[in-house]
Amino acid sequence: MEDPLAAIRVTFFQECEEQLSELESGLIAMENGTAESETVNAVFRAVHSMKGGAGIFALDELVRFAHVFETALDKVRSGSLEATPPVVAIFLRAADILADLVRAARDGGAVDQARVADVVKAFDEIEGQKEIPGSHEEEMVADPSEAQDNVWEVTFTPYPALYAKANEAALLLRELNRLGETEIKLDTSLLPELLELDPEGAYLTWLITLKSDCEESDIRELFEFVEDDCRLEIGRSETEGFAPGTVITGDNGFKFEFFPPMEEEIEEETEVKVVEKKKEEAAPKPVEQALVHASAVQAMVTKAETANSVAPTIRVDLDRVDRMIDLVGELVINEAMLSQRVLEAGINRASGVAMALEELEHLTREIQDSVMAIRAQPVRSVFQRMPRLVREVAAMTGKQVRLVTEGEATEVDKTVIERIADPLTHMIRNAIDHGLESTESRIAAGKPAEGTVRLTAVHRSGRIVLEVADDGGGINRSRVRQKAVENGLILPDAQLSDEEIDNLIFLPGFSTAAKVSDISGRGVGMDVVRQSIQALGGRISISSRPGYGSTFTLSLPLTLAVLDGMVVSAHNHTLIIPLGAIMETLKPRAEDVFPLDGDLNMLALRGGYVPVVDVAHCLGYSVQHAEPEQSVALLVEGEGGARAVLLVDAIHGQRQVVIKSLEANYRAVPGIAAATVMGDGRVALIVDVDAVVQNAGAESNAHTAELNNLEISGGAA
Amino acid sequence: MTDAIELPSVLDLVAAPGLLENFLQRRGHDLILDAGQVQRVGGQCLQVLLAAHAAWAADGHNLLLQNPSEPFIDMLALMGLSPDELTHHVSAKNGETEQ
Repeated sequence: MEDPLAAIRVTFFQECEEQLSELESGLIAMENGTAESETVNAVFRAVHSMKGGAGIFALDELVRFAHVFETALDKVRSGSLEATPPVVAIFLRAADILADLVRAARDGGAVDQARVADVVKAFDEIEGQKEIPGSHEEEMVADPSEAQDNVWEVTFTPYPALYAKANEAALLLRELNRLGETEIKLDTSLLPELLELDPEGAYLTWLITLKSDCEESDIRELFEFVEDDCRLEIGRSETEGFAPGTVITGDNGFKFEFFPPMEEEIEEETEVKVVEKKKEEAAPKPVEQALVHASAVQAMVTKAETANSVAPTIRVDLDRVDRMIDLVGELVINEAMLSQRVLEAGINRASGVAMALEELEHLTREIQDSVMAIRAQPVRSVFQRMPRLVREVAAMTGKQVRLVTEGEATEVDKTVIERIADPLTHMIRNAIDHGLESTESRIAAGKPAEGTVRLTAVHRSGRIVLEVADDGGGINRSRVRQKAVENGLILPDAQLSDEEIDNLIFLPGFSTAAKVSDISGRGVGMDVVRQSIQALGGRISISSRPGYGSTFTLSLPLTLAVLDGMVVSAHNHTLIIPLGAIMETLKPRAEDVFPLDGDLNMLALRGGYVPVVDVAHCLGYSVQHAEPEQSVALLVEGEGGARAVLLVDAIHGQRQVVIKSLEANYRAVPGIAAATVMGDGRVALIVDVDAVVQNAGAESNAHTAELNNLEISGGAA
Repeated sequence: MTDAIELPSVLDLVAAPGLLENFLQRRGHDLILDAGQVQRVGGQCLQVLLAAHAAWAADGHNLLLQNPSEPFIDMLALMGLSPDELTHHVSAKNGETEQ
């Protein structure tokens, strides 16, 4: 039983993440006023399910907080509490804490109790405002400990499916035991003779008398995960209340039986009716009791319906998907090899074999695309973390910020998603902390007091383009320039275009250190952002308009399993250079090449100088240096914007290659990022541009930005 | 003759068919169940135990419980039973059933 439980626990936390996303987006819809009636239900459900699951794993802290949260949400749902902006703001904070609690429960660690207490207090205050003095029921809500215990009678009959799904009656009974004092009776009357007993059948019924101040929903909740797999009846032992109780039953869906209560019964009900009482208070005229119940029934029905409307999904181990992607990669390679062989065999292109092969190729590509699509996920999961970040940073900086997100449904490889979260977080922090002006200066500049940070995602020509834009003051170029000079990144008399100045912020060692703050001055600069983006095969650029704000644009590949590469040859070896790193190709002229001491050459390029890397020499294919004028030069950009010119013998064209890890299959080789198998079955190595460029950088000891302003005699060693 | 079964530590749905088989094989004999190892009892094994109890009682044989572990007693209690309700002795010849 240990393993199934552990697996369920994993699933629970996965589901929690989903529920948290749902919760967050629902609350944001409420905040923006775009909420529909179903939104509140969805939000409530999210909290409710987390609470239910947490109960099973005895995550008491989580259960407690979720309960408080849920109670407040339920009031909104029932209309007794209006979701005013301040109320939604508290909900948002509560959602953040809930997320923290979930993560603390999963990964260990503690949650800031002061924050929890703050929000719990805020919830109390909401309730306080709504309280009618002297109302008995209200007091009971305010202090449940004074509430009178109810005696519940629960009849619980598991179906075989309950056991088959690794749920245990005993565990559920234990949960019930936690709610209050229980008396458990076992009804064995349906138990067959030993010979006829199906060991995987279910014949037992438990009759539980529970003395507790809890509500029916609390009991029902414990059984939420098994509600389709058991017969559950909950009633009060006294005649008041929902005497016959409600019945939820059914194996395939949701059946709701409701016994209409008598009018006088309602008056005697206590806690269960609090919500309805509050409704009365919201609408002063007496509310028809029947109506209230009708709405409760409606809510249940709605719940059942929405539960069914979700598109069916399955959870699959990532390993399995990756294995499949790997195999499809092999298939693509094999198909290419086969084509090549057919071609070599001199078979006519119009022949049946060649035609069939062509179809196979289409099919293979299609399979590849579909398999890649399995790993693709909407960027929503990352985007949804941002509102919280924005709230926190806004609070810390005292700025008013609105986050607008677009293109959440844009899909990209899971690994890319995982790895853009940090850079995006950092960029948004920066946008708020450095990009947006203070509220006063905004007002002084005639802008709305509330700054806007816009996060968008779009697909553009086989890549995903993410933009982080703020409507702040734009980059303060004179300050950036001054900083760069102070930090020795550029020479004081360097002539830089606006764009070049803007791009200085990506340099290592650059930080607007004049204003180190808690938020973005954490020693993680934009160079780290750029580095992590480039590690993903992406590019980052910035455009800024003084007074109107800045826009950072990230362009990333949709998947990390294939790569657009330039096929080149160097000393008879076929190599792949990632297309993303190549800025331009050129044919160097002898007079533009300037030898430095040692082996290093510099190439004059539009007034600047770039170190020249002879790829064949660098990778050890040849001891001789290639003649620059006999070679083709590729201007590449590596980490931190360092540039170099790579010399190769020839360019053979561009193609998409399937990346095969060299570390996993052989061992890490310096200067080589990975390998691929070409159509002719030969392995081609993919050049690690960063390493090669860095190598060149180290040799020349020239700083990236200086390159443009380098004086050949003095700038390089 | 008296037979004995040592109950496994986890009496979950996976264990139920085997447990039933064990009982069926020993039907018609006095039987001692050793519950010293039991850590967990599920509903379905409980059903087998209860049905066995009924069967042994009907056949007029002893079904005794030996050395029940803490968790075993606790879980039975959770499910509304005491160990006594799983035992049947025709002639009160030893005290093991008193546990």
